[in-house]
Amino acid sequence: MRPLTPKRILWICSGLGAVLFVAVVVSLRMGAYPIGVRDIVMTLFNGAMGRRDDIPSEFWLVVFGLRLPRIALGILVGASLSTAGAGFQALLRNPLADPYVLGVSSGAALGAIVSLIVAPHVVGAIQIAAFVGAAATIAAVYFLGRRGGHLDSPTLLLAGIVAASFLSAIIMFLLTMVTGSELRSIAFWLMGDLTAPPPTTNVIGWFGFLFFIFIVAAGAIYTTSSDLNLILTGEQEARHLGVNVNRVKLVVYVAASVLTGLAVSVSGAIGYVGLLVPHVMRMLFGTDYRLLIPTSAIGGAIAIVVADTLARTIVAPTQLPVGAMTALAGAPVFIYLMRRRIR
Amino acid sequence: MIFCAVVVCAASHAAEKRPPEGGRYERRARAENWPSEGDVGLQQAAEYKRAIRYVTDETGRRVAIPLRIRNIVTLAPNLTETVYALGLGERLAGDTTFCDSPPAAKEKPHVGAPQNPSLEAIVALHPDLVLATTSINSPQTVEALAAVGIAVYTSDPHTVRGMLESIAHMADLMGASEQGAALAAQLQARLDVLQARLAELPLAHVLFVVWEDPLITIGPGTFIADALRWAGAESVIVSKQNWPQVSIEEIVRLQPEYIVLTSNHEESSAALQIADLRARPAWKGLRAVELGHVAVVGEEVTRPSPGLIDAIEQLAHQLHPEAFTENMEQHEQRRARGARFVASSAVGKDCAACAR
Repeated sequence: MRPLTPKRILWICSGLGAVLFVAVVVSLRMGAYPIGVRDIVMTLFNGAMGRRDDIPSEFWLVVFGLRLPRIALGILVGASLSTAGAGFQALLRNPLADPYVLGVSSGAALGAIVSLIVAPHVVGAIQIAAFVGAAATIAAVYFLGRRGGHLDSPTLLLAGIVAASFLSAIIMFLLTMVTGSELRSIAFWLMGDLTAPPPTTNVIGWFGFLFFIFIVAAGAIYTTSSDLNLILTGEQEARHLGVNVNRVKLVVYVAASVLTGLAVSVSGAIGYVGLLVPHVMRMLFGTDYRLLIPTSAIGGAIAIVVADTLARTIVAPTQLPVGAMTALAGAPVFIYLMRRRIR
Repeated sequence: MIFCAVVVCAASHAAEKRPPEGGRYERRARAENWPSEGDVGLQQAAEYKRAIRYVTDETGRRVAIPLRIRNIVTLAPNLTETVYALGLGERLAGDTTFCDSPPAAKEKPHVGAPQNPSLEAIVALHPDLVLATTSINSPQTVEALAAVGIAVYTSDPHTVRGMLESIAHMADLMGASEQGAALAAQLQARLDVLQARLAELPLAHVLFVVWEDPLITIGPGTFIADALRWAGAESVIVSKQNWPQVSIEEIVRLQPEYIVLTSNHEESSAALQIADLRARPAWKGLRAVELGHVAVVGEEVTRPSPGLIDAIEQLAHQLHPEAFTENMEQHEQRRARGARFVASSAVGKDCAACAR
């Protein structure tokens, strides 16, 4: 294999970025509302110049009100979940690890359900409650998953799996208690969907806030990528080479959990992306975490944008939950890559 | 009162502007500014077009709704039926893939299934008003539509009476308050006739089957429970939940007088259903099944729409055939005897069971 230089990382990431750009353009074009490429470009151009008055209001509505926020949310959620998945797979040294294995999504779903039961019509309550639920689960699993004062991968994995099962049981219990419209909101959380509008009218500020958290958390994981490479060869060996294993584990655990909580709070538990995308990127570009983290982030964004475009159009006018689409489209791609590699 | 305030103002409402069909970008952009200066009549027309009023819908959301409603999109079958029953079928721009009644509703453009319709498909129909219901639409859909400035009125009826009021409110929003009042009054009159006939009969204790396996029935908070009371019946199950799952053992213990099933197939008669139930080990021990006391009503009973009254009448005929066989003379005599109740029922019709 060729040595990994910053130039090569940049080249591969730009290539993937170009794929993401194409996916975004195609996604902008596809939809139930008939709007041509030329009109989309004009609308985007006028919107970017701040000339809102020059745009027919329905074009503004479809492009800036419906499609762009959905794409932006898809990029954020896909990138967060895949980065978190790559982080958890290294932290737990387990190829089956995904962002939800430690119960973060169950905690977030429980928070969302409680808020739906207690305060059903409060704007933004669901997102906040979901994040609080995720944070509480992160803290609980952290304290349960320590051994000798430090994070121990097998203990952490067991603690997380038990927490996830326990929280799922509580969710099942609550599901028998609620009826009607709450039930549909909860189904939305459990399946994962990008329909929910931002909780404020300041859409740009909201996405700025979300992407800021993503950059900080994903950046934190990226700074540990060289150390993660060493830890993956063996914790003992990494210690001997001067890696502060406990600190690295803590950083990855907190950052990956925050990314998961962020994604689940805004879109529910979208499955498979966090598990499959890092593996696909390993198959395509190798196991070096300096390359794996950024490619996973972009790959996850591509996966969700493509999956959501399919979810919106494949049985149009009905929309599928994007969570169903990621598994449906993701599994065959994964199996193809896996078999090709073995041959 | 539902209408807190009626405010007329010139709000720029996205759904209000309708550029000419097939126009290119520039033409559409120009069409936005069509009331030219100095043309007073045209300006007034534009202001009227954009005039809106604020109402509070049945879930407590404040909604700005245009005064003039030309394009309506419904997100549930019962709402589609209501729009047609009000004679506003021509103004229905789109409905869901579930909307099959009346047959004309199937020909309308569909915006998807009620649980997850396409927001873009709704926008593409230029609706002035979208009608939704809590019983099948998700709050996310309503919020997402509201976030892009589309007027959504969500109905939330819990009783038959509430449904009639909801129909009247929606009719008023669509500028058809007279039709709405007439329809509600006509449906209420049919309910009154039923009540007069059933007034002195004991309530039939029934099991209403929402789903057979697992057995799911209704709680007292649903409008189906209220519809049962209007049909002279009462559910044997008392539960805090709206759609409780119950064990067949519990039903054997309670021994309902009648089993009420819903069916969308007209040909699936009660006899067929009885034969089906008798073939099941758990059910054939029920006294109601042995006696053939199985009532089959149309699926309308699960939809809070004008068709619900048909279903109530169907059910009343099956549960209390004796009330409908007597001739009018006997009936009048009985009515005279029951005059005290009939008079009082004009005041408190909400619960036929309590009044008796």
